[in-house]
Amino acid sequence: MRTWRGRLIGLAILVVAASLIVTGTSLGGSSSSSRTAKAQAPVKVTFWQQKFEDYQQKWFTKYVRAFNKSQNKIQVTYVVVPGDVWTQKLKAAQAAGTQPDVATTNYGNIAPGVLNGQFTPLDSLLPKAAFADIKSNVRSFVQVDGKYYGYPMLVEPSAVLYYRTDLAKKAGLDVKNPPKSWPKLIKWARAMNVGNVKGITIASVAPDLGWSSWGLQYNACGHLPISTDWSKGEATDPCYTKLLNFYKALYQGSLMPQQPKVGYPDATPYGNGEVAMMVNGSWAIGQIKQYFPKLLAKTAVAPMASFNGDDKKTTATLGGWTLTVDSKSKQKQAAADFIRYLLAGNPKIMAGFFELSGYSKFTVRTSVDKALASDPKAGKDPFMKVIATKIVPYGRQEPKFPWDISFAMGTAIESAMKGKQSVPDALKTANDTINSVIQKQDLAGAGKGN
Amino acid sequence: MATRAETLGRVKVFRTAKRKRGRLHQSNLTAYLMIAPMVVLLSIFVLYPLGYAVYLSGYRISFYKGNQWVGLDFYRYVLDDPRFWASVRVGFKYVAMTVPTMIILAFLLASLIRSLSGWMATVLKTTVYVPAVLSSVIASVVFVFIYQDQGVANWFVGLFGIGPVAWLNDPGVSLAAIAAPGVWLGFGISTLILLAAMLDIPQSYYESASLDGAGFFRKSRYITIPLLRNVFLFLIVTGVVLTLQEFLLPLIMTGGGPVDATNTPNLFIFNSFRDFTPYATSFSLAASLILFAVLGAVSLLIFKAVNSVKAVDG
Repeated sequence: MRTWRGRLIGLAILVVAASLIVTGTSLGGSSSSSRTAKAQAPVKVTFWQQKFEDYQQKWFTKYVRAFNKSQNKIQVTYVVVPGDVWTQKLKAAQAAGTQPDVATTNYGNIAPGVLNGQFTPLDSLLPKAAFADIKSNVRSFVQVDGKYYGYPMLVEPSAVLYYRTDLAKKAGLDVKNPPKSWPKLIKWARAMNVGNVKGITIASVAPDLGWSSWGLQYNACGHLPISTDWSKGEATDPCYTKLLNFYKALYQGSLMPQQPKVGYPDATPYGNGEVAMMVNGSWAIGQIKQYFPKLLAKTAVAPMASFNGDDKKTTATLGGWTLTVDSKSKQKQAAADFIRYLLAGNPKIMAGFFELSGYSKFTVRTSVDKALASDPKAGKDPFMKVIATKIVPYGRQEPKFPWDISFAMGTAIESAMKGKQSVPDALKTANDTINSVIQKQDLAGAGKGN
Repeated sequence: MATRAETLGRVKVFRTAKRKRGRLHQSNLTAYLMIAPMVVLLSIFVLYPLGYAVYLSGYRISFYKGNQWVGLDFYRYVLDDPRFWASVRVGFKYVAMTVPTMIILAFLLASLIRSLSGWMATVLKTTVYVPAVLSSVIASVVFVFIYQDQGVANWFVGLFGIGPVAWLNDPGVSLAAIAAPGVWLGFGISTLILLAAMLDIPQSYYESASLDGAGFFRKSRYITIPLLRNVFLFLIVTGVVLTLQEFLLPLIMTGGGPVDATNTPNLFIFNSFRDFTPYATSFSLAASLILFAVLGAVSLLIFKAVNSVKAVDG
């Protein structure tokens, strides 16, 4: 017994000692090679992308892989984050110091982010030619005080009118002359509001109204509901009354779904034939092409109607996405090199993106425009032609002020639509809220135009 | 001079007291050891975060520019904000709609189950408890379908010539529409708690009452309800505190709309936090701490209003 126990203990000691020697040797042996490996190890860059349509994730995956393969100095780790958890996930990462080096940022968040010291200026990290390639009307979208804080990817008008030509014909409407004024749009909606098919769908909840109505706020008043220097609210400007009345007429006249199943950016109700017209962003074309191809032949697009029928007045803002480099990133140059490859490099990469999108989004670079011009499919696309020539040229930049201002106006529109408050009361509440936001967030004097 | 007997007596008393003190000391030590893990865990996960939150609420928090001391500014901003108070009002309205309904329904069902016997009672108990094991997310999605224009709810009211009603998009009815799944999810567990307490009431009380000619209502009024006082207190306190913090149902079903009609306090705080500005982070933190104080005050008021008593039977 004793002999067996002794042998077993001896064996165990031998095994432990041997393993220690082996481990020690391997550790010792690896120290110099690890130093060499460290010297050659690629720089790691984390890239967070807010989740969009499926084709976008495929496109990003393809080009992140291609970038990683194309060189051995930078390794990009690509993370897709769903939109509904984006803010809390990013804030948690910022608090923990694990924020991504590169992230998708919309135009509206550039200025507040710069104010908070969140982004690195790209001026010294990207070549001048990359900035020269950005269309002149888009440059200001990513600039603060003359510096570039993001590289733009695309623009997409926030409001386009889609209508079913077959249903319009059936209702005795002239499909070649879509409604240009709000009263005429209401008339069309009423004419096509038959049975279970509603005349139109448009945003109806404050979080959607807050941003999708920017273009129509410009249309009604020529400005947004805050003074250009952000020192006082201007929501009680009487011109907004007609805007709220327009939405109210559509909702209270039951010309639009009373309980929309999806948010404003989703074209599913139109695709399912539940509505005859739809106000939605240009991105809806991509959804219709991908999921409801049979509707393409029966669909036409037009600029969203203006309050007085002037089709050269703004009815949409030009939203879109950029890539930004975090100011705390330890790999700023590597992060910028990745952005340069993806967004500012070979024009064919971005041209491929727009082709995948079904030409539902628009380029911000002159060189990509040229690449697309050589694509016969792009030239023939009827939707792209209307949006590019009749909507984009009159689109305005998204506001740079904090979201609370837009949300207050969105709440006013919703409140009037659903009869919670009269139009003047709703506007007064919005104005009080805006003034309170200005005071609490020290905004007075921070504005440099809407 | 003390006699030998007296001295021996004192020594004995002294030894007994020492033994008792020793036993007491030992039992105290055991008690401290037993509660130690909980105290440590509470300190790490509750007390420290709470203290740190109070400390941070005095700053305008920025993850990039450093925190800026602003004192009690954010508490003033929250208390000044009409949307915060509107959300607290929504919370209390939601409590008023759900807690009494849940307790009354649970009481009636528990009384029914108690009067049944054998397999019927078992089937009913299981059926009543099923919603409690369902996820709130699933319940929310199911009820969103029920409330659609062509959903079951509109079909039902249509039988009476009403509607279609925009259940989730009409500020007048949306909170009640959310309260329905709230009650449905919560009354199962309340029923089982009440049933368990009812089964503890001696049957002889009811037999005596029956001999005196008492019916269901008199038995409930004079026997069941008084003896369930502490259970009702528990259900009211936990019900109020939990429903005042309702978050998932309005988040999924309405997002707090229409026009903030279902914007409960927690949802208001969550949506405030989702803004990117440094203002939003500190504001939501201060709002959370104020809500914590409101919940504590409400619980205290309920305890004051409905004093717990020791059951007659002990």
